[in-house]
Amino acid sequence: MRYLRIWYRLALNSYGVQASSPLSSFGYLLGKLVRITFFLVFLSAIFKHTSALAGYSLEEAALFFLTFNLVDILAQLFFRGIYGIRSMIREGDFDYFLIQPVNILYRVSFNMIDFLDVVTVIPVFVITYYVLRHIPGGINGHRLLLYILLTLNGLLIAFAIHIVVASFAVLTQEMENTIWIYRDLMTLGRFPADIYDAPMRGILTFVIPIAVMTSFPAKAYLGKLGSGWIWHAFFVSTISIILSLWFWGFSTRRYTSVSS
Amino acid sequence: MRKYWFIFSLYWQEGLQQRSSFFVDRFRSFVVLISFYYLWTALLRGRSSFAGYDHSQMITYILGMSILRGLVFASRTYEIAGEINHGRLSGYLLKPVNFFVYTFFRDLSEKSINLVSAIIEVIVLTCLFHLDIRWPRDPSTWALFLLAIVGATVLYFLLSFMVGCWGFWTAESGGPRFLFELTLEFSAGAFFPLDVLPKGLQHALQMMPSPYLVFFPLHVFLERLSPSQLINGFAAQLFWIGALSGITYWIWQKGLSFYGAEGS
Repeated sequence: MRYLRIWYRLALNSYGVQASSPLSSFGYLLGKLVRITFFLVFLSAIFKHTSALAGYSLEEAALFFLTFNLVDILAQLFFRGIYGIRSMIREGDFDYFLIQPVNILYRVSFNMIDFLDVVTVIPVFVITYYVLRHIPGGINGHRLLLYILLTLNGLLIAFAIHIVVASFAVLTQEMENTIWIYRDLMTLGRFPADIYDAPMRGILTFVIPIAVMTSFPAKAYLGKLGSGWIWHAFFVSTISIILSLWFWGFSTRRYTSVSS
Repeated sequence: MRKYWFIFSLYWQEGLQQRSSFFVDRFRSFVVLISFYYLWTALLRGRSSFAGYDHSQMITYILGMSILRGLVFASRTYEIAGEINHGRLSGYLLKPVNFFVYTFFRDLSEKSINLVSAIIEVIVLTCLFHLDIRWPRDPSTWALFLLAIVGATVLYFLLSFMVGCWGFWTAESGGPRFLFELTLEFSAGAFFPLDVLPKGLQHALQMMPSPYLVFFPLHVFLERLSPSQLINGFAAQLFWIGALSGITYWIWQKGLSFYGAEGS
């Protein structure tokens, strides 16, 4: 309960920061919405020239794109604080957080809540619901549950990656750009993983599990993911979280303060 | 002119000094290249053409798109708003330099670094996947292509300089600039060829300057334009350069009369 109150307070602070520059926030918000719209227009335009993309129909391909957006936007919404970890360390805020009676990883991760993503994720939810209804078979309760679980699983893997990025920043006080490398790699999940050849698909499934985060939920909903792969997805998130938390502990134990 | 080449050299060195930012920028570009390469390859699998592009034309468009993104869209004009907001513009106004030319040469250094890198990335990808590039059959196409990319570079510079001038009126130009760049990249054909889009949307986009940044130069390179389309394309590019030069100059003058040198 105390942690929920802290989250609420941090969210209010973030809202205050974003509301103090309404024009800029509006521009960013509109930009995010325009990007999603353009890609949806592009997808629908492609299907004017073909009936399938790697064997998927327009609605199915759109589901992959929307799932990528859901995981990406929710990760930005909840773990935005990690993006500023280097400046927190450099300016001494990290040292200040360390003496606060709150879990330091929680404090850092939720230091900033991006309200623009709250607004962005609503239309994405609505369009996803629309697309799910138009997929042959309509909305299926069992598959929907699996889809939600695997999307949350993808979010968990995203959180693990954010923790690793934060750990590197604590350990080296550098690597400010690492999070952007992750964001760029994430864009490979915009389209179904089936468009990639076998070696690339292998990398996206086993090395940098972008496909597990973005393609697996959609494939599960479409009934094209075997149970072995579903267990693989949960195994990857469990291992990722365990290893990332271990690495975070390792990094923070070696942190000797740099600026305060 | 020598002083501007000196500025070019200074920013070239600075650009190479900030290696991590540079590599992340290039990595982003490479990921876009890879993802669209796989997308179009998947779409062309088992068919000879897609939306009027055969395999080698589409691959050439994607590779050319990556090079032109590195050349045309590489810019440091995003710094202009900050320079105005923090009063650093005063320093430039007091120096014996033309700020417009100064920023153009600063941009050129950024563009040249990105261009070299983009060409290397394209060569790596071409060798890795044994890609079939469609080279121009007529040697004069090279000259026309060069002319089109010079026009595209000047056009983008004018547009982005104009957006940078928003800093005279607001300290919140970051968001609108983000929106501007996104819209421009999509409507320029920097992610996909615009003729994939529905006809109505294509006609609407043709009324804007953006297709002349990437889509038009690449169509020149691919020799997909008739002589009359070539003339119309270059005339439109010239028109937009002329119109935007006037508008940008007018905004700059208005902005200067509004400039209070706060923060300097």
